[in-house]
Amino acid sequence: MVDFDPELIGRVFEVTDPAEVTAEDIAKYCAAIGDANPLYVDEAAAKKGPNGGIVAPPSYAVTFRNGRHFFTHVPRYGRQGFDAGKDVEFVAPIRPGDKIKLSSHVKEIYEKTGRTGSMVFVVVRSTVDNQKGEVVAHIDHRFMNRT
Amino acid sequence: MATILDLHSHSEASEDSRAPLDAYLNWIKLRHKERPVDGIVLTEHRQFNAEADYRALEDKFGLMVLKASEVETDYGHVLVFGVTDEMTRRFDFANVRLSAQEVIDEVARMGGVAVPCHPGRPTVGLCEHYEKRPPLENVIAVEVLNGGSRKGEDERSQELVRKYGYRAIGGSDSHLVSLIALCATRFDADIRSIEDLVREIRLGRCEPVDFRPKRKPVAPAVPVEVAQDG
Repeated sequence: MVDFDPELIGRVFEVTDPAEVTAEDIAKYCAAIGDANPLYVDEAAAKKGPNGGIVAPPSYAVTFRNGRHFFTHVPRYGRQGFDAGKDVEFVAPIRPGDKIKLSSHVKEIYEKTGRTGSMVFVVVRSTVDNQKGEVVAHIDHRFMNRT
Repeated sequence: MATILDLHSHSEASEDSRAPLDAYLNWIKLRHKERPVDGIVLTEHRQFNAEADYRALEDKFGLMVLKASEVETDYGHVLVFGVTDEMTRRFDFANVRLSAQEVIDEVARMGGVAVPCHPGRPTVGLCEHYEKRPPLENVIAVEVLNGGSRKGEDERSQELVRKYGYRAIGGSDSHLVSLIALCATRFDADIRSIEDLVREIRLGRCEPVDFRPKRKPVAPAVPVEVAQDG
């Protein structure tokens, strides 16, 4: 079995500085992913919509790590590894003016075997919240380490 | 009455699957002509959920859902049918280095049956381990049809069955909704419970069935003459 300190699980090891969201940032993101939904980019249309104003597309929650912040304290095993994907639970909309931060902890460490040999997976859960302390998303980042 | 079951599938309870159980069952209902199975066996990786109760979904879709587990051993991956509390106390299912011989012998002693799966697969299949170490004792059956097999892997499994006289089963090893029930196992008997299934595998009254669409052979390339200018 993979050897690790059980106290590692659940302990927050990183909290990012708040990053302010602007309508311009959201519009740039929408342009990059080709999403022209007026609820994300058109103030007048968004006001009449279910959120009462512009909100970010749900996947915007993921941008607070990639390109802005990379984990420096993720436990590593073996000789090499890579980002093995992420699961995102969208909880509440992100709006212009929100100040978003991520608190990250190791959720799970497990070993498995496959066609290519043994692997250790480290799952880091980031809780994404805004300036009011409201959780807007949970992101599980899965890192694979080749042992 | 014969019963056809997909004996190897992973729902979202397995960390590498994104397939909800209800979506599997719905997919089977929609494609029942091509994949005429009566139900599936969930074989989640390295775990067994004794409490999970799928009766409501079984009633909704008219399909059977049985529970088993896929564990990892020193001879590759093994499906364990008929999991009991005694087994989960005896073995740490999360341990990826279980002794295959102990799993086979102890599971049998406790009333279940352990079936090595995808034996033709590199690293986690029986064939590769048999090249380096003595064959396991008391193996009753292996999975010779696996929906996730790559070219040549099922053929290696069939060769193993011929050589050692094992019984054979099939399963999709599905991790995605659209891949469910591509391979399955046909039982002569009417299977109503995991106990029925264990008994019939032990007696060898089953055979693998393949519902994978046959690929049409690709026509050989025909040279095209290109007109030369000038």
